[in-house]
Parts: sequence; structure tokens; C-alpha cells
Amino acid sequence: MMSNNPFPLSKEKLLEAYRTMRTIREFEERLHVDFARGDIPGFVHLYAGEEASAAGIMMHLNDNDRIASTHRGHGHCIAKGVDVKEMMAEIYGKSTGACRGKGGSMHIADLSKGMMGANGILGAGAPLICGAALAAQKLGHGGVGISFVGDGASNQGTFLESLNLAAVWNLPAIFVVENNGYAESTSVDWAVAVDSYVDRASGFGLPGITVDGTDFFAVYEAAGEVIKRAREGGGPSLLECKMVRFHGHFEGDAQTYRGKGELEDIRANKDCIKFFQARVREAGVISTSEFEAIDKEVARLIEEAVAEAKAASLPSAKELLTDVYVAY
Amino acid sequence: MPGPVVGIIANPVSARDIRRIIAHAGSLQITDRANIVLRILAGLAAAGVGEVVMMPENAGIRLHLSRAMMRAKSAGEARFPELSFLQMRVTSQAADSAFAARLMRRMEVAAIIVLGGDGTHRVVVSECGSVPIAGVSTGTNNAFPDNREPTITGLAVGLAVTGAVPAREALVDNKRLEVTINGVREIALVDVAVVSERFVGSRAIWKADGFRELFVTFGEPGSIGMSSIVGLLAPLKRSSPFGRRVIFERPETAPFRLMAPIAPGLIEQVGIERVETISFEIPTMLTVPAGTIALDGEREVTFSERDHVCVTLRDAAFRTIDIASCMSHAAAKGRFVEPAGKLPFFSHQQGGS
Repeated sequence: MMSNNPFPLSKEKLLEAYRTMRTIREFEERLHVDFARGDIPGFVHLYAGEEASAAGIMMHLNDNDRIASTHRGHGHCIAKGVDVKEMMAEIYGKSTGACRGKGGSMHIADLSKGMMGANGILGAGAPLICGAALAAQKLGHGGVGISFVGDGASNQGTFLESLNLAAVWNLPAIFVVENNGYAESTSVDWAVAVDSYVDRASGFGLPGITVDGTDFFAVYEAAGEVIKRAREGGGPSLLECKMVRFHGHFEGDAQTYRGKGELEDIRANKDCIKFFQARVREAGVISTSEFEAIDKEVARLIEEAVAEAKAASLPSAKELLTDVYVAY
Repeated sequence: MPGPVVGIIANPVSARDIRRIIAHAGSLQITDRANIVLRILAGLAAAGVGEVVMMPENAGIRLHLSRAMMRAKSAGEARFPELSFLQMRVTSQAADSAFAARLMRRMEVAAIIVLGGDGTHRVVVSECGSVPIAGVSTGTNNAFPDNREPTITGLAVGLAVTGAVPAREALVDNKRLEVTINGVREIALVDVAVVSERFVGSRAIWKADGFRELFVTFGEPGSIGMSSIVGLLAPLKRSSPFGRRVIFERPETAPFRLMAPIAPGLIEQVGIERVETISFEIPTMLTVPAGTIALDGEREVTFSERDHVCVTLRDAAFRTIDIASCMSHAAAKGRFVEPAGKLPFFSHQQGGS
């Protein structure tokens, strides 16, 4: 069958990639509705529209590899293998959540999966991943560390210092800039002095490349090369994924900074999942019915996750101080 | 009567792709691109061009230029022509270069100077019509544009558009390849490669085992990229009245194999089944039923068994400014000598040290 498959992944892997992207989309669109209904405490920042980046990168990783995510971290968590039901419970603030309901959307973590955490502090993941990459280098197990930042957080000192540190120590670290065009409401054109992240990487002596983050295959191909390079001792690199987000910076954001018709346009013409389906279906590798079967399974999973999250209990008061600090 | 206006299209996002990882290709910083434009502007002004219009972008070139122009003006220097930017929406996609070229053609600019690699030049040529172009290499794969100091490009373009060099010496006709897929036309200036993968992905082509066919307008032995395959097998000049087609075969079973620099930093062995000559205006069908078409080194379009695809070589499809010819003419006529027409000839003995 592989001879009829013109893609760099087997049919099983293509189905896995689609399931990941569909799960992220379904998860986020459901949160969009539930948050508006007032069911969810705290803030949520949705990843819908950006799925190709998380899926295309994480397909190359294993549990030895660590990632540090952002405030917009649900997609990274799902793609890295964090349990979807535990994630939903966490966002609902329930005791069955990935962090026992005390982290919420912006602090979901699962170290067993190499997921070092979403992060409410912009740019804070980059230094963490330098530590993870240093550990991988010293342990010699071939693991890599991947830090995700948005275009806004890429201006943070933590991020820039991390580029320097990773270059100085030749760490197996990859810095992924998920450039969705807006730092909250500020266009990237107004807030980044060097608009090319390739230039920015060059300034620290590491290679950088830009890919179309709405094209799963572009991300997959580029991520494969930078990750392989890091595993082989080639050192750090930067990968900019140019992408779009389908929702506001946070849920409740009126998005007055967007152009007229912009949202409708990106949903119609920049949908990474539609692109993926069209290419794979056109090549005759995955049929419409196979996509629909996954869609149904994912919808059921998210429905169950919400129902179980709603039914679960809140953490008790006596757990207030547990899991807050790590004991050595 | 107003003098000639020159257009400049400087692609801010060329040289950013995966070839920086797989082949150590270079990248040119935004400030360097702005400095290149400033050197071009200085050349244009020295040759008598008073007005230049540029494609706008938001990556920083415009900002750096504005600062330099403002400084020159406040210092009372007249080193640069008047510079303005087209009124257009910036999308930071290749479509910006195409749209800018279309606007410049409508404005009847005298010439367009292009900063980019083969891909950027291809996009500009798709819309510039009969407006001549001059290329400056700032891309990854630069088989088409000259590798030349931009100051000289500015000077030569200025000489051409002001009439200091007659058109018959300043302008050159160029071939191009046209690919039609179910009637939709795409173009390539240097090469059309057919590869077996059926996804565009990260665009660059570098996996030689997927190469199936290659068409070129020219192939020089000193070139980089896919056209180097022809350059090293059966060299072909830009001015030759035909093109070439290469049919690839797996290296293990191919009649012969060739080592070729298929991308900057990437010298690969390719298996060759045969090389053919292609004539103008005769459509050629592909030998492979499905795959991806790469135009000037970048995957652009996928096709399958259901699609009708053919490749045609066109003659005199667009014009370029011959920089070397312009400068030779200027030297021969003493264009930069004062008093005009008085050439200070020396014999060997007098030339001395």
C-alpha cells in the first residue's frame, strides 16, 4: 500500500495525525461553547486553527522528549499524549484533572508524557526547555526539548536569553514560534522590530526556518529535520510556524483589532484540517467515510470528557497545599 | 516632462525555508536587504533616475529605508531618488510581489528591479508583461538573477531607462517554461522539475530519489540548483534557441549517474535515463502520471492521473536588462567621464603603476 501513498507517513500515521488535529479542534470548539455558558472557571485561550503545528511537530517525539507550552497550550497537551478526559477535568477545576484541578487551563502538565506544562507566564517555557535539553544532553538518551512561544512572547527577555544559552551549550533544543499574527490584540507588524524570526535566530548563531503553519505536511517535514538535527548533536534551531487562530486571544475577546471579514476568511481559506483532508483524500489514501468515523469517535470522546468533568468533585480544602511544591 | 520611474520589488521573506537546516543555505537579514536597496537607489540616482516606487512590506525594509532617506534629506544630501511605496494591502505572501508587479506595469514603470531568488523573479515575471526586469540575488537558489553588486545594477538600470544606453544593447529577450494543468497556466524561468511526492510541504526539493523529470530554459556549468544537472550534462546558454528535458532513473539502474549541486550546499548523485532537446511552442506531456511540480526549485502544484499536464517552452517571453552590456556601453561612450566625450587614453607604457 505504501507504494500508492505519496506522503511521508504511513496511512496509520496519517490517521493518527488527523485524529490528533480533530481532537484538538473538537476540544477547543466545545470549550468555546461551555465557557460562554459560564460552566468553566478561570480563563481559556483556544488553539483552534493552529492544530497542524502541534500535530506536525509532536508526531516526531516520544516520551523522552520534553515540551514546554504556553497559555494557549491545550493543543500541545493533546498532541503530546496527555489524557483528554483528565485535561477537560483540569480545565473544569475538578479533582480528577491532570493536576488534580488546581492548575486549570494554563497549568496543565503531565511529566510522564514529557509535557512540562502550559504556562501562564509569557516566554517562561524557553528557559525550562533549556534545562530539559541540558538534561537530555547529559543523560545522552537522544531526547530533545521543544519550547513553544507565540509571536508576542518572542520579545520576552527569557526567550532571547534562552536562544543564547542554547546556542552557547549547543543544546538539543528547538524553539517553535507559533506566529498567529497577534500578540493578544497587537499585530506582529507593530510589535516585533525584526519581523523575521530567521534573522532573530541568526543573531544568536543558530539556524532558523519559516514554514506555513497551516500546512501539516510543511510543519511535519520541517520539524522532522530540525528535530533530527538536534538528536544528532547538531544543536538548537528555531522553527517559525505562520498560522492563524480561529478565536480571540482569550474567550470573551471581542476581537475589534481584526479586519472586516478576516475571521470568516481564515476559517474558509486557512483551515489546516480542511487542507489536510483535501490532500489526503484526493490522493486516495484516506476516504471520506474513514474521516467521518474518526470525527464520530472524537465527538463521543469529548462529550464523555465533558460529562465526566461535570460529574467529578472539586478538590477538597485539605488538598489546598498538596502538589504545590516538589519535595526533594 | 517627468523622467522615467523605476520599480523595486524586494521580497522580505526569501531565503527562509528548510534549506537552512538541510543544506546550510544562507539567509540575508532584513537590514542587509534594506542596505541593498539603498545601494541600488544610489546607483539609480547617479544615472539620472529621479523617481522610484517600491512594493510595501511590513518586515522592516521600508522602515530602514525611511530612516536612511530621512537622514540623507536632513543632511542635505541628494544621493537618492524620490522614493514612494505602492498603495496596496500587505499580506506577506508571494501574492504581494505579483500584485506589485501588476501595479507597476499599469503605472508603466520603465523597469523593475527584483530582490529575491528564482522564485521571486518567477512571480514578478508572471505579472510584469513587457516591463524589463533586473535581478539581484537575495534568495536561496539564485540561478536566474546575477550575483552582482547592487550599486552596479542600479547604475546600469538607470542608464537603460534614461536612454543613455540604447534598448537594443540594454535589453535581452528571455525564454520561459509554461506548465498547464487542466488549462491553468504556471510559469518557470529556469526549471520545471517533476517529483514523486504528492504534497507541497516545505516546498524545497532535495530528495534526489524522488526526481522524475526536469525541463530547463538554460543550464550553465557554474549554476546552482536543478538546472546544474543540465549544466553538467549538456550545457545550454540562456540565448540558445531551444531547451532541454531530462528523464531521471533510479541511480542503481540508470544508464549513467551524475553528481550535481542540486541546492546550495547539497551535492547529490542523480540517475539519468536520457537527455532530450525541446523546441519552442511544442507542448510536452509528462511521463509520470502523478506527483508534484516544482517551479524554479520549489514544489508548487500537485497532480494526479486525472489531471492533464503539459510543459511548453516559449521564446522571447519577457525582457531583462543586461547589466554588463549597459556598463560596457557606458564605459565605451565615456558616460561617467567629465568633460563628456574626452576619454583619457593611455598607452601601456604611459599607464604604468
